[in-house]
Amino acid sequence: MTMAALDTNTPVMEHEDTRDSRRLGIWLTLPAQILVLFIAVFPILMQVYISLTDWSPLDGIGWWQAHELWNSFANYSDLMADDRFWSALGRTVLVMAICVPVEFLLGLGLAILFVDDFPGRRFLYSVLLIPMMVVPAVAGYMFFMLFQSGGPVNDILSFFYGAPVTIAWLADPDLAFFAVIVSDIWQWTPLMFLILLAGMVGVPEDQLRAATLLGASWATRFRTIVLPRMKTIIIIALAIRVIENFKVFDNFYIMTGGGPGVATETISIYIYKVTQQELIWGYVAAVALVILIALSVVSAIAIKRMSRGVSQ
Amino acid sequence: MTSIHLANLGKTFGSFTALRNMNLEIADGEFVALLGPSGCGKSTTMNMISGMIEPSEGEILFGERDMRGVPMSRRGVGFVFQNYAIFTHMTVYENLAYGLCATGVGKAERERRVNDMAEFLHLTALLKKPAAGLSVNILQRLAIGRSAIMEPAIFLLDEPLSNVDAAFRAVMRTELKHLQREFRQTMVYVTHDQLEAMTMADRIAVMDHGKLLQVGTPIDVYNNPSNVFVAGFLGSPGMNLIKGRSVASGEAMCIDLGEAGLSAPLPGALFRGLPEGKAVVYGFRPEHCELTDDDGLRLPVNFVERIGARTILHMGQGGHSIKGVFDNRVPVRQGDIVTLAIDPSNIRLFDADTGAAIVETH
Repeated sequence: MTMAALDTNTPVMEHEDTRDSRRLGIWLTLPAQILVLFIAVFPILMQVYISLTDWSPLDGIGWWQAHELWNSFANYSDLMADDRFWSALGRTVLVMAICVPVEFLLGLGLAILFVDDFPGRRFLYSVLLIPMMVVPAVAGYMFFMLFQSGGPVNDILSFFYGAPVTIAWLADPDLAFFAVIVSDIWQWTPLMFLILLAGMVGVPEDQLRAATLLGASWATRFRTIVLPRMKTIIIIALAIRVIENFKVFDNFYIMTGGGPGVATETISIYIYKVTQQELIWGYVAAVALVILIALSVVSAIAIKRMSRGVSQ
Repeated sequence: MTSIHLANLGKTFGSFTALRNMNLEIADGEFVALLGPSGCGKSTTMNMISGMIEPSEGEILFGERDMRGVPMSRRGVGFVFQNYAIFTHMTVYENLAYGLCATGVGKAERERRVNDMAEFLHLTALLKKPAAGLSVNILQRLAIGRSAIMEPAIFLLDEPLSNVDAAFRAVMRTELKHLQREFRQTMVYVTHDQLEAMTMADRIAVMDHGKLLQVGTPIDVYNNPSNVFVAGFLGSPGMNLIKGRSVASGEAMCIDLGEAGLSAPLPGALFRGLPEGKAVVYGFRPEHCELTDDDGLRLPVNFVERIGARTILHMGQGGHSIKGVFDNRVPVRQGDIVTLAIDPSNIRLFDADTGAAIVETH
């Protein structure tokens, strides 16, 4: 009888216990939560506020007084009509659409070469990872020098061409675009390679052997075992590169400063220039906010679709 | 269906010799178990037959055909891995159909064969299920079906029952034997479990330290082990092996077993040609001894192990350790001194130096 009484009572007591400990937990973590909230939310709220004004640091008033320069949604309507903004955004997407697939394919190819052992594999592996560890600004200077009209790239071309080649790489809009893309691919293919190799090594050996014994060719094994097994890691690698590539700045700015004209101006360079040169901070805040929202929506959709694919 | 011939087969990994000088003929449709402790070279042998690794020396023939340089995808060998290696990112159907797809079998034919195989292995209800998360016994049937559907001439099984529990293992032993009769393939089965080898195989090949020690039918290998290792490895518990020395006793020959006393006279066939004073190992199965009031080996009982139907007496003193298997009503307690009578026809003698069996000399 007492047992039965205990049985009915125990869950209730446990329930109250958990509720109490939950409340205590909330109190204990509250300072940290407020701090995190402050760090994450405050700058965005501040940005929203400034984006609705004409405020600039030269106006002689603090940013908290920016409501004196309230312009409603003028920054946003300006933005809609700003061709330079839209062309920078389009260029950024174009850079991503070229760089990420090329880096992925090169990285995948290298991973295939490196998944089996061969003499000198460890050494070559270390060498291949070097570009990734170079500071992007330094890489920018390297490629800036490589692509000078009297630089090594032209020297090599002269050697093969048999006559002096003096292409002004960074002065021609198309060639400059090509050059900055080469620098990005050079620097970030190793990261793709590293991630994809890690995924490829993780494909169970026995499954590949089983497939071989069932008569599957290399290509069939790659398509039916290796790629499906690497799906998650491929999604992660692509997601990292897409997000990173969208923010590309250092090498581009150092190599060309976004020029000639606006030929290599990505969204980051555009924001930097507008902030530094034109000092219209209210407008910049609006630009940054629009990009943040657009990127968040796109990546939320992408991650949702991708994770649905993974769980299937 | 095809036979397998292994001739002087050897494999070294760097300075380590995994297998040396292996000669084995496996007949068409035969079920041969490679039996031995871990590291004896049985899996290496299997991997060389499948083509996963190349032999360092010797040759492998399937029927008349030399397998040197033939890649594993073209050997027509079915292989069931210890961990089954099921493609867990596919459905049961896709797993079964994998080999047929990979080798370009048409859709209608493919569907028919997958459905037949699924029916045969009771997997029909699971065909659309993802292979991840299936229970071990289903995975195992799937692994067998996935290979069997290709109708390979040779079927290799690498410890397929080591991951399943004891009760299911007993069921699968019967089922595997049944499958082999059904498929009529040449099967090579690697195991370290003598019970599996004994119950399923037509012949057992016992291996140790990279050497093939004995090949024969289960009963033959059990009754007439060719050396001390095989004698001690097979049987549960294994054969009793006591070091001794041959001594003449009147007309007959006996073995002086030291503290255990003098053995009963050996049967004529065993000692003919045995020189006096030779160091030998005297062996007999724990099942082949009886308690007696007459002459015999006098031994103290150190431990009485009761395992249901049988009782195992652990006996001996000094350097001897002798086990005897009796029925469970044996009236003996720990500390008793018992006298063991051993049927002379069940005694096996081994050369103490080489370990090889001393066979009847005529």
